[in-house]
Amino acid sequence: MAAANNGSRTSTRERWTRAGDFLLDHAMIIIILAMVVYIQTQRPAFLKTASIVNIITLTASRLPMALGIAGAIILTGTDLSAGRTVGLTAFISAIFLQKLDVAGRFLQSAALPLPMVLLMVMAVGGLVGAVNGFCVANFKLHPFIVTLATQLIIYGAYLTVSGAKQISSLDARYTTEFVTRTLFRIGTTSVMSYVVFSAIVTAVMWVVWNKTAFGKNMFAVGSNEEAARVSGVNVTMTVICVFMLAGATYGYTGFVEAARLGASTGTLGLNYELDAIAACVIGGVSFIGGIGKISGVILGVFLMQLIINGMTFLGISGNTTYIIKGLVILVACAIDMRKYLSKK
Amino acid sequence: MKKFLSILIACAMLLGLGGAALAENEAYVFWYTFADVYLSSVREALDSALEESSIAYVDNDANATQATQTDQITTAIASGASLLAVNVCETGADGIAQNIVDSAKAAGIPLIFFNRSVSPEVVKSYEKAVFVGTNYEEAGIMQGQLIGQYVVDNYDAIDLNGDGVISYVMFKGDESNQEAIARTKYGVEDADKIITAAGKPALSFYDSGNANKYLVDQNGTWSNAASFDYLQTILAQYNEENGNMVELVIANNDDMALGAVNALQNAGYNKPAEGTKVIPVFGVDATDTAKELIKNGFMTGTIKQDAVGMADAIRTIAANYIEGKDAFDGLNEAYVIEDGWKVAIPYGVYTGEE
Repeated sequence: MAAANNGSRTSTRERWTRAGDFLLDHAMIIIILAMVVYIQTQRPAFLKTASIVNIITLTASRLPMALGIAGAIILTGTDLSAGRTVGLTAFISAIFLQKLDVAGRFLQSAALPLPMVLLMVMAVGGLVGAVNGFCVANFKLHPFIVTLATQLIIYGAYLTVSGAKQISSLDARYTTEFVTRTLFRIGTTSVMSYVVFSAIVTAVMWVVWNKTAFGKNMFAVGSNEEAARVSGVNVTMTVICVFMLAGATYGYTGFVEAARLGASTGTLGLNYELDAIAACVIGGVSFIGGIGKISGVILGVFLMQLIINGMTFLGISGNTTYIIKGLVILVACAIDMRKYLSKK
Repeated sequence: MKKFLSILIACAMLLGLGGAALAENEAYVFWYTFADVYLSSVREALDSALEESSIAYVDNDANATQATQTDQITTAIASGASLLAVNVCETGADGIAQNIVDSAKAAGIPLIFFNRSVSPEVVKSYEKAVFVGTNYEEAGIMQGQLIGQYVVDNYDAIDLNGDGVISYVMFKGDESNQEAIARTKYGVEDADKIITAAGKPALSFYDSGNANKYLVDQNGTWSNAASFDYLQTILAQYNEENGNMVELVIANNDDMALGAVNALQNAGYNKPAEGTKVIPVFGVDATDTAKELIKNGFMTGTIKQDAVGMADAIRTIAANYIEGKDAFDGLNEAYVIEDGWKVAIPYGVYTGEE
C-alpha cells in the first residue's frame, strides 16, 4: 500500500518535472507570446495588417545576414565583420547605381547593370569571408578576434575609398523599381520585393544546410572538429566556405540596405551583427556548436523584431528598450545553455 | 529555484512593459542618440514641454544608427502615430531624409525635423513638414569671432612660448556631419579674420604634418572620450618643456571641450584656483557641464544652443499640427521663420554670465 502510494507520488512529481522542463525549454517563446498578448490588449493596432506586414518586412531585411552569421555560430564561432561588410558593400552598390545625372556623382563611369552589381557585392562579401575563414582555419585563431580585426580593416578601407562621403540620389531602377518596389498590396499596405528576395535567399540557405554535403560537413565540424577531420571532412575548406557564404549574405544585405535607406553612409551596418547574433541565439542556434536550424533563425529574427516593434507600439522609452532587449538575450542564452547541460 | 527565477524574470519583463499607458495623440520623437549631452538637454526640455501641453509622447533612441531610426519611424507609422518629430541621424544624404518624408506623406502624418539639418528641398516636398533648427553655420562663425576677440585681447598670455604665433588644436565631432564641417571651418577662419585684422599672425595648427588641420572623433559621436585621448597623446609630445605646447583648444561641441579640459587638468593646467596656467578651451552648445566649467575658469567660452527654445518651438508646432492649426501659429517671435519650411533658433555667446 505504502509502496503504491510512493510510486504514484514519484510519477506525479516526474510529470511535474517534465512539465516544468517543457516550460523552461520553451520559456522564450512563452514569454514572447505573453508579451504579444499584452501588447495586443494595450494596442489593438499591433496585430493589424499594416503592423504585421511591417514586422515581416523588417524581418526580411535582417534575415539573410542572420542566416550567414548562424553558420559561423554553428562552427562555435561568430562573425563581427558583418556590419562593416554591409557598410562597404552598400557603398559599392550605391556608387555604381547612383543616378547618372546627379551633380558630383562619385564615379564618372556609366551605371552597371543591376544583377552585375549584386553579384559583385556578394563576391566582395565572399572575399571578406574567405579571408576570415582562411585565418580561422589556418592560423587556428578564434573567429571573434579574426573578425574583430578584419572589420577594422574593412572600415578603414571603406573610409579611404569613400572619403566618408555619403552616396545619395540612387537610381530609381535600383531603389523603387527593384529593391523597394511594391509587389502587391494587402489592403493599403504594400509588400516590397526584397521580402521575396529574402525568402529566396532563405530557401537557398535551407537547401545548402540540409541537402548538401557541405551543409552536413558544417554541422559535423561544429559538433566535433576532430571527429569530423578523422572521418575525412576537409575542415579547412568547410570553415572557409561557411565564412564565404556568410560574407555573400552580407553583400546581399548591403545591396538591399543602401536601397532601403536611400543612401550609403559611414555608419551604415554598424552593429548589425550584434542584433543578428542575438536573433540566432533566441532562435536556438547554440554557441556550443553544431546546433541550429533555418526555421530557428527565422523564428529568432522574427521574435526579436516583434519585441522591438512591440516596445515602439507601447511607447516604451529608448532607455527601457535597451534593458528589455538585454534581458531577452540573457534569458535566451541561459535557456540554450540549460538544454545543453541537461543533454550532457 | 531555476523555475522560480525564470518566472521572476518573466514577470519583471511584463512589469517593465506595463508602465506606459498612453492616451491618443501620440507624438513620436526620434532621437539621433540618447548619449549626446546637448540633445539630452533638449529632450529634457521637450519632455516637460509636451507634458505641459498634455501631448502624449514617446522618445526613441536610434543609437546613432540611421537604419534603426528609419525602422523605428516605419513602426511608429504602422502603430498609428499622429505626429513624428525626427532628429535625423544622417545629415549629409538627402535620400535618407526623403525616404522618411515619403513614408510620413504616404500616411498623412505631420513631420517635424529638428536639430540635425535636412535640406530645404526635402522638407518642402511635403506640406506638413517643417524643420526646427539653427542656421548651423552661425555657431562656427560666432565661435570663431569669440575666439578671435579673446585671442587679440589676451595675446601675450596665450602665447606661452613667446614665438608670436598661437598654436591650436581643433576637435571635429564627425567627419561627414554638415554642422561639424562648418564649425571646423568657421571656428578658425572667423577667428583668423579678427586676429589678422589686429595685425597678428593667423592661428597655426599645432602639428604641421596634419594637412586636415583637425582631429576627428573616429566614431562620429562628438565624444569627450575622443578629445581626451587625443589631447592626452598630444601633450606627451607637445608641451612647454619642448617649447611647442598647444596654446588654444577649439572643439566642435562642449562634450569634446570637456574631454580637452580633463586632459589639460591631468597635465597640470586649467586649475586657476591652484594657480596653474590656463589653456583657453572653446566649445559649442552651452551644456550645464560647460557652464560649470566656465564659471570655475576651467574653460573659456562656448556658443549657446538654446535647448529650451528649440523644445518650445517643437512643442508649439506639434500642438498646432495636432489641433489642425497653421504650423507656425503662436510661435515665439524671437525665432526666425524662413521661407515657410524652417524655424531658426538663434545662437548666443556664453562666457560665464548668468
